[in-house]
Amino acid sequence: MTIANVPVGSVEPTSEERSAALRRRNRSTERTKSVLFHIGVLAVTAVVLYPALWMFMSSLKPTSDIVGNVSLIPDNASLANFAKALEGIGGVSFWTFFKNSMILAVASVIGITLSASVSAYAFARIEFPGRKVWFSLMIATLLLPFHVVIIPQYIIFNNLGLVNTFVPLLIGKFLAAEAFFVFLMVQFMRNLPRELDEAARIDGAGHIRIFTAIMLPLMKPALVTSSIFAFIWSWNDFFGPLLYLKDPALYPLPIALRLFVDQTSTSDYGAQMAMAVLALIPVLLFFLVFQRYLVGGVATQGLKG
Amino acid sequence: MNRFTLKAVGLAAAAALTLTACAGGGDDPAAEPDPTTGGDDTTPVTITFTWWGNDDRASRYEESLALFTEEYPHITVQTSFQDFPNYWTARATEAASRSLPDVMQFDLSYLREYSENGHLADLSTHIGNEIDLSGFDDALVQSGVLEGQQVGIPTSTNTLALFYNPGLLEQTGVEAPAEDYTWEDYNEFLAAVSDAGETTPDGQAIYGGADYTNTFWFFLQWLVQEGVTPFNDDGTFGFDESHMSDFLALTTDLREAGQVYPVDRGIQLLPLGGFTVNESASEFSWDNFLAGYTADSGTEDIQMLPVPTGSGGDKAMFFKPSMLLSSGANTEHPEAAATLIDFLLTDPEVGAIFGTSKGVPADQAQRDAMVLEEGSIDATVVEYEDAVAEHVTEPVPVPVKGFGSIEAEYKRLAEELAYGTVTIEQFVDSWFAEAAMMTQ
Repeated sequence: MTIANVPVGSVEPTSEERSAALRRRNRSTERTKSVLFHIGVLAVTAVVLYPALWMFMSSLKPTSDIVGNVSLIPDNASLANFAKALEGIGGVSFWTFFKNSMILAVASVIGITLSASVSAYAFARIEFPGRKVWFSLMIATLLLPFHVVIIPQYIIFNNLGLVNTFVPLLIGKFLAAEAFFVFLMVQFMRNLPRELDEAARIDGAGHIRIFTAIMLPLMKPALVTSSIFAFIWSWNDFFGPLLYLKDPALYPLPIALRLFVDQTSTSDYGAQMAMAVLALIPVLLFFLVFQRYLVGGVATQGLKG
Repeated sequence: MNRFTLKAVGLAAAAALTLTACAGGGDDPAAEPDPTTGGDDTTPVTITFTWWGNDDRASRYEESLALFTEEYPHITVQTSFQDFPNYWTARATEAASRSLPDVMQFDLSYLREYSENGHLADLSTHIGNEIDLSGFDDALVQSGVLEGQQVGIPTSTNTLALFYNPGLLEQTGVEAPAEDYTWEDYNEFLAAVSDAGETTPDGQAIYGGADYTNTFWFFLQWLVQEGVTPFNDDGTFGFDESHMSDFLALTTDLREAGQVYPVDRGIQLLPLGGFTVNESASEFSWDNFLAGYTADSGTEDIQMLPVPTGSGGDKAMFFKPSMLLSSGANTEHPEAAATLIDFLLTDPEVGAIFGTSKGVPADQAQRDAMVLEEGSIDATVVEYEDAVAEHVTEPVPVPVKGFGSIEAEYKRLAEELAYGTVTIEQFVDSWFAEAAMMTQ
């Protein structure tokens, strides 16, 4: 889209007028195209965002007006649902659920960036015996469905007495058991020129120095991408906390959300919607702040200055 | 030292208060907590207790457990709760690692599955010791017995009812069925309401009710009326293909004429339904759903009728345990677990706290302790169960293993039948084929 603004100093003076006219015409067709394009994109966005908007508007409606009602405008908007959601459930305040979600998400980010980057360095840069075997084994864990390992894992953690703590949910992340992130970083690191660490080695740097002084700063896009995914995945994780956390005071938000709905007696959809909106805010903020890195991190294939 | 004595005195005073409070609650011996049971050994123990339910149930349990801790200060109860579907995911994982909670809410449909695999403790040794069931109906207690083991004790009962919305009926000008109505009468009622052609303020058509053949429990109720015992003790079915086809055929005409609540609209409304959005004038369900129906529909006036009379001339209703309390076979503190179960089942104050939110309490002392305001939801449900007691002539069909799955399969097929993608014959064939596999 910015091609039209590229300075064209090299064009010969005689053709300057002609090219200016061409450019004008180009620009106007470009403009109609762009307007049409944006209208189309906005229409699709409206369709895609409608459920989110519906959720937000529903959080302002009384429970009886929510289900089966597709209209967005509440007849009598009120913040009562938010008051109810903030009160919490069964004596546990909303802020406890929020704090638990935050602890899990932040610890996941720290664990994954630390452990995955170190393991990735080993796989990408250190020649150790059996490297290829270990690497394929790690990739193989990606192919193993989560549901296959749940029960053995649960039994192990239960025998270790670690059920009902955050440990089962976080330990894997600190031990680079999340193969996806290790793989992502290995691929990224392989694209970094070896000349950089060879030069450092000639200057007498060891692995630790090369990793901290050269690799880490260059890996910023991969680290940011991993952090964003780690944060969002942990924030939205339902199954892990459901199995491993027993005490309601340890529940994160996704579990708490479900507690407003009970098919066997009364369900408070209003409070559920309100809590869903509240639960969405941090992850939305996180995304907005880091989204340019997210796209950058995924798109970066080679090296940029 | 001083502080310690002060604490002890305080505890004793609190315990004494609870004792007097309980003794004043009712003359029934069940109301008297026996200070020797469960109290012989006062070494501090911690037990876990899990239930499904919403925030309202959680606060009622918290209130009850506060009383429990007052009475049994040496037992610490660690609580946990989830919503119904996720509750069973979590329990299945725990069962696999033999770490089920010491006390948990249980549902009749999962009872056989867990007990066959030896996951549930036999509570019969505690009955008469920690657990006092003198205020219970024997037949009801029996519904928690499988293969001679008391694997669960019912907390409360419910039974089927026909809910109807008098406001909608007034609009359509159709009379509610009389109490001695039959299934044919009900069909006529459904057709009449739907044919009245009235609409809600939103412009949605008003129907008489959903197709009642879509729910497995209604089929069971109908079978019982036909004199068929749905499930035999050896886990086989007491009914065959022809029973199911006959039942499904009851509403064929209504389905074809579009006189039952449309299935597509019903699915749109999930988790609510036609009845709770005031587009359908009647619905069969469990009587303790009244609270949910009133809250979801915003309609104060919802009336209840017993189920239709069957071909045998009686209603042959049954009380079903709406939920049970069970204990994991892996429990390390069976006495403390039994003490908690007894407290939740028989303490009158707990009865007053819960009302009918879990169904009508099974224990006489708890029923007596409920504060029933004239016209309240609790009062309506209790009155209903008292009124239909004369029709309750049958024991509840105890579900076979895999009941949850065959029930779900029935529901899925009923949906297809409503859409017209399967015939009754195909429905019955595929259900029996699935059921044969699932109940192995």
